[in-house]
Amino acid sequence: MLYLIVFTIIYLAITIYLSYLGYKKTTTVSDYLLAGRQVHPVTMSLSYGSTYISTSAIIGFGGVSALYGFSMSWLAFLNILVGVWIAFVVFGKRTRKMGKALDAHTFPELLGRRYNSRFIQGFSGFVILFFMPVYTAAILIGISRFIEVYLRVPFATALLVFLLINACYVIWGGLKGVLYTSAFQGIIMIVVMIIIGITTYFYAGGLIEGHRELTSMTSYIPQELLSAGHNGFTSFPLAGSPIWWFVITTMILGVGIGVLGQPQLNVRFMTLKSDRELNRSIPFTAIYILFTTGIAFTVGVLTNVIFYKNIGMLSIEAVFGNVDKIIPMYIDRFYPQWFVAIFLVTLMSAAMSANSAQFLAMGASLSRDIFEQALLKGKSLAETTIVTRIGIVFSIFATLILGLLMPEGIVAVATAFFFGLCGATFIPAYLFGLYWKRGSKTAAKASILCGFFSSLIWMLFFHENESRAIGICRFFFGSDTLAGHPFNMIDPQVIALPLSFIVFIVVSYLTRPVSQEVLRKAFRHI
Amino acid sequence: MLGFPDIWVFLGYILTPVSTLFCLIYGFFNWRKGVEEKDGDYREEIRWEREEIELIEKLP
Repeated sequence: MLYLIVFTIIYLAITIYLSYLGYKKTTTVSDYLLAGRQVHPVTMSLSYGSTYISTSAIIGFGGVSALYGFSMSWLAFLNILVGVWIAFVVFGKRTRKMGKALDAHTFPELLGRRYNSRFIQGFSGFVILFFMPVYTAAILIGISRFIEVYLRVPFATALLVFLLINACYVIWGGLKGVLYTSAFQGIIMIVVMIIIGITTYFYAGGLIEGHRELTSMTSYIPQELLSAGHNGFTSFPLAGSPIWWFVITTMILGVGIGVLGQPQLNVRFMTLKSDRELNRSIPFTAIYILFTTGIAFTVGVLTNVIFYKNIGMLSIEAVFGNVDKIIPMYIDRFYPQWFVAIFLVTLMSAAMSANSAQFLAMGASLSRDIFEQALLKGKSLAETTIVTRIGIVFSIFATLILGLLMPEGIVAVATAFFFGLCGATFIPAYLFGLYWKRGSKTAAKASILCGFFSSLIWMLFFHENESRAIGICRFFFGSDTLAGHPFNMIDPQVIALPLSFIVFIVVSYLTRPVSQEVLRKAFRHI
Repeated sequence: MLGFPDIWVFLGYILTPVSTLFCLIYGFFNWRKGVEEKDGDYREEIRWEREEIELIEKLP
């Protein structure tokens, strides 16, 4: 406990000091929103990485890996290939140039100005403001579960206190504060995760031996998982089985592809001065993701060997089915107290950096996207920073309520929900906006609406995970889902993303392209 | 295959560090590239700064 208090105080002191530095340097609106567009590549890498890889990745997806095994390593691979290389090279470079040419300050503003549409900006802002709290809450639940396990405090207290601390430095620091603290948090995270990775393999008997041990444990897997398609921790689930659809479409594709439509990540590209900084950020970000996600997923699976050796149970049995508690319990039982304290600090840092970027994205959505563009029809608002702060306060409350209401073991699922929703809603309009001059304003609107509403409809009436929890389908049709296997297991993004791509292309050919003047401006540096 | 009986799991496990290596190589070969800006950029910076000043003046 003493270690915990000492490390937490040191950590909080450094974070508050860095936020204060950010606050002191925050003098203008663009400083507040975009850190003045001059951010060092290493800072950019670490802050992008720590915004991307949060508590959700370590606790939520680490726990899910413990349940479904090494097939989750495909998500780690996609996190690097899609989430870093494709995001930076294919999307990032043009986002930076176009963002500058259009003087965009937020992701919806980029889309709105590219297509010369206030509706697109306002609606995108609406999606962010009202749906991002699900993801923010998932991250918050992750860290609060950890605090609940280690400090033996009620879950609700942990959630409330942590949210308060986080709120303070976001409201006072802006993105600049967030960027500085994210870089600091990123460094702690890498070091701690490397130590956990090495020691876990050591406890499990080594690299190859650990994997073999896992293979030999297939018979211990609960019968209901085996009959749903679980094939052991070192094999892919049975093709076409419910678990296979869940792992592939929701966990691997939902998050692996959906990352490209994440507003709080895309806005980071605009903070760089030139493509050179972007190129230089790529290796650092990739290393960061490898050492965090890659290690978290691997450690998650290997906890089965260690739990079984020590207490004769698989990880999922040791936590009574709550996957979000697997990683916290593993660290609590098998690491010295001083290390547990450092791990708590690391997780707090991960949660804080991710949540901060999200609160800021939500605040900016309210002020610039919804208020200035959609409601005031483009009239500039004098109190932008104040409205941004109101947006942040709203998002903090929404996060708090969702955090208290959402069920156990929800972290990875809620993350996948938000990533999938953003992916289906934004990716086609975003990608074509950067590359295809023929894409029309109507097509962008249609594609965004199609992606959003088809995702929602699929969730409410077809995808059993959500439709059963929400209950609207049962209310109207007397059944949890309108579709049989496998459709009830296919993630909404897998249906909605191709649909919104098709809609964009078809409608573009049927309607007038965006005016030459707008195109010239948007593609000025490309 | 590093103790994995399934080729797909082995591939996912291996591709993760391989993709990192690819990013490292990409970063290494493009370390100095991408610094040149087009002619219009300078004028744009001025315009951007002007707009910026207007925004500051509107602040309370």
